[in-house]
Amino acid sequence: MTRTYTPWFLLAVALGLAAIYLFPVYWMYVTSVKSGSEIFSNPPTFWPADPNVGVFGDVWARRAMPTYLWNSVVIAGGVTAITVVLGTGCAYVLARYRNVWIDIGLFCVLMLQVLPASVMVTPLFVGFNQIGLLNYPRTAVVLAAAAKAMPFFVVLVRATFMSVPRELEESALVDGNSRVGAFFSIVLPLARNGILVCAILTFMSAFGEYIYSKSIIQSPVLQPASVGLSGFLGPNSTDWNSIMAYSAIYVTPILAIFVILQRRIVAGLTSGALK
Amino acid sequence: MSAEPQIELIGIDKYYGSFHALKDINLTIPKGQFVALVGPSGCGKSTLLRSLAGLENISGGTMKIAGALMNGVPPRKRDVAMVFQSYALYPHMTVEQNLTYSLRLKGVPKEEMRRATEEVARTIGLDNLLHRYPRELSGGQRQRVAMGRAIIRHPKAFLFDEPLSNLDAALRVHMRKEIRALHDRLGATSVYVTHDQIEAMTMADHVVVMRDGVIEQQGSPLDLYDRPATRFVAGFIGSPAMNFIPARIGPDGASTVFDRPDIRSLPIGKKLDPGREVIVGLRPEHITVGAADGAGMTLKVAVVESTGSLTYLTTEEPLQLTIVMTGRTELAPGDAVQVSVPSAHVHIFDAETERAL
Repeated sequence: MTRTYTPWFLLAVALGLAAIYLFPVYWMYVTSVKSGSEIFSNPPTFWPADPNVGVFGDVWARRAMPTYLWNSVVIAGGVTAITVVLGTGCAYVLARYRNVWIDIGLFCVLMLQVLPASVMVTPLFVGFNQIGLLNYPRTAVVLAAAAKAMPFFVVLVRATFMSVPRELEESALVDGNSRVGAFFSIVLPLARNGILVCAILTFMSAFGEYIYSKSIIQSPVLQPASVGLSGFLGPNSTDWNSIMAYSAIYVTPILAIFVILQRRIVAGLTSGALK
Repeated sequence: MSAEPQIELIGIDKYYGSFHALKDINLTIPKGQFVALVGPSGCGKSTLLRSLAGLENISGGTMKIAGALMNGVPPRKRDVAMVFQSYALYPHMTVEQNLTYSLRLKGVPKEEMRRATEEVARTIGLDNLLHRYPRELSGGQRQRVAMGRAIIRHPKAFLFDEPLSNLDAALRVHMRKEIRALHDRLGATSVYVTHDQIEAMTMADHVVVMRDGVIEQQGSPLDLYDRPATRFVAGFIGSPAMNFIPARIGPDGASTVFDRPDIRSLPIGKKLDPGREVIVGLRPEHITVGAADGAGMTLKVAVVESTGSLTYLTTEEPLQLTIVMTGRTELAPGDAVQVSVPSAHVHIFDAETERAL
């Protein structure tokens, strides 16, 4: 294989993989506007014969989606706020000090990442019940999901902090700043991009949080959109185009944000954001 | 230059865990003096400088700046300025913001700050770069900003941590003079860390040679050159490095006998115990070639390198010496040369302690 061929070949592979990954998203949009019989037609149609766009407005109103989406935003916002405030401080300390206890701490943080939410949810439910947190179910979910999001955030932001040269901080100290002052006026602005990107990723994953919300929040007016979606799955009938319309409404804002910020997200994750 | 001490270090010790990084450092720096800390990497010179800045805590001893005890005082309360090897300019601030960072922290009024910025910018020649970011500057300009950031504060002492090592050779020679001139103009007290003995020799009033956390010798540059206290200092100061030859004091006590019959003895100009094991040190520039009186040794040339103004000769075994001659030479590899050294320029070190005798 010559050098000129390699990029084309790799590009073809990349496009093929992207198509496979993106097909479900395409199928979601297409199915949502199909009629009931067309959904089950064989062979399947890849472009709807008679698109019915009205289904979106219908689902929006019928399923009380504003409430669900608002709950999702509240929960994701809370998770992001807690994660960013606590995780940034934690990541900074883990980045700046090197000794055996820090290594142990880092290992524990990574171990937390390994535990799946479905394993954690029962003990958390019992614990929250005993301290009365279940009376504030959204707060309970925020705490649980923030704990889940924290390791990922800490590990990524730690790498960002490590890319900020230590001398800058020392220079600030000698220039007359305190440790805390140097953190806020020098280190934090330089790590801003990385923190922002990790915050966005945390928000996005918390926006789709399901297991904790489903288990802890009983009242439909407090449930997030992810739990609301499961309400479509009845024992006898499954309203596929409503489900797909609901999903489309739910996912589209996230997709849009991701597309808009895509370049910055990738840049923020890979580069030190410094020079 | 007044004699009152600006920096006093008495019995400074520093441990990293069980590693003894600084061992009983005693150093007094009078106000207005330019002191160079020099030594190979890992000798503790940077650690000492960082301790002065307050970035490292010393484990023992007394550290005073302008008469005030500095043990355990955080960097911001020491009123010293530091220029880092990497310059450590704040990348998210313009040159002007970099310069005024310390003033803003002190809450200096806007008007005064502007005046100080202008003055410093003029001093270091950055007037038209004030609104640029560090990434838009060349290495030399960044270096100047780092200097300016130190100057603007009028600190009690300037601390330099190898500030020139990231510049190219020509710029380094230029900045050497500039830093020294700036020091004289400001009447500042400066501590300058470098691994480059030429920087230390050319810039400093007082050179401190360190090795393995110990001060080997301190004194004026020429004092260290003329009277090195140990073999290490002798080898470190001067370029190209001093030649060292193991030898024994002859029966007369006034000359050295080499273990090889083909090398003649060398008068040393002083009396020592006959038979004592020593190391003879000869500076390449003190060896004369072509001695007329026949008192020297006859050696064979192995390599001839000429820079135009100077010629470096390396002789063949059994006695491999580096010799510096001014001007040019007709000598070629394989030629025999007569070399001799005036006894005043023969350095003798004890073979065991390596201290000068």
